[in-house]
Amino acid sequence: SQSASSSNVNFGRGDDADKLLEDLLKQHGEVVYSSGGPPDPTVEADDDAECLSFAVSLAKAASEIKATDIRVLCVRRLVYWTRFFIILTAFSNAQIDAISSKMRDIGEKQFSKVASGDTKPNSWTLLDFGDVVVHIFLPQQRAFYNLEEFYGNATPIELPFDTQRQ
Amino acid sequence: MIQPQTLLNVADNSGARKLMCIRVIGAAGNQRYARIGDVIIAVIKDAVPQMPLERSEVIRAVIVRTRKEFKGDDGIIIRYDDNAAVIIDQKGNPKGTRVFGAVAEELRELNLTKIVSLAPEVL
Repeated sequence: SQSASSSNVNFGRGDDADKLLEDLLKQHGEVVYSSGGPPDPTVEADDDAECLSFAVSLAKAASEIKATDIRVLCVRRLVYWTRFFIILTAFSNAQIDAISSKMRDIGEKQFSKVASGDTKPNSWTLLDFGDVVVHIFLPQQRAFYNLEEFYGNATPIELPFDTQRQ
Repeated sequence: MIQPQTLLNVADNSGARKLMCIRVIGAAGNQRYARIGDVIIAVIKDAVPQMPLERSEVIRAVIVRTRKEFKGDDGIIIRYDDNAAVIIDQKGNPKGTRVFGAVAEELRELNLTKIVSLAPEVL
């Protein structure tokens, strides 16, 4: 019986405390529905600016070596592990080799980023610069894997030069 | 912990359904058991009809999910519900065009970014 009475007392205290807290909440409280709202787009853009300039310069280098159908996609909202995809078509292993070695040079010399991924030309050659991932396809493999369709919701980035669309 | 005779699900649309591991290759350190990101030689035990891959064909595959818990560099421990692999060719290109289910981000550090970029969900 002693324990029951003590628990009763506790309940009473709890009620009092609840009322006190409610009063305090009414006086001073305010409901926070979100902390600060969505991140400021300008801050995000600044954050992305370096990666974006890197991606665009890589795409430009590829177009100088006559790669066609170059697409730069911002996949930041879809996947968390990278920010930009560059998808492009090359027509021979020698061309793939030229494109990938030039991209590696640009990454190392201008942006101090080292690429992992394929070292030898492959029918799907992938260069992983961290925030920018480059996919170099032969035409057949490009149609087979159809990465643009898989990342169809990504925002395409306008390029400052002409590229042949297919 | 994948060893010879282990049965695995196939996590892509290449046309195979079940694989049996017959050899662990490229497993650094522990030569007996393969874990996430290791390449194995496997034989196709069950395949979808009317697809290029057939039963009893010997192929290479990358393990993407294991029931044995896998500890990443960041301390996260992941345990999946099944053992699953993605079929690749000799050059490392996936045979299927899409990967199903979640895969671990650590595959990216093992030069398997192609599989990561085809996966719908990366942990």
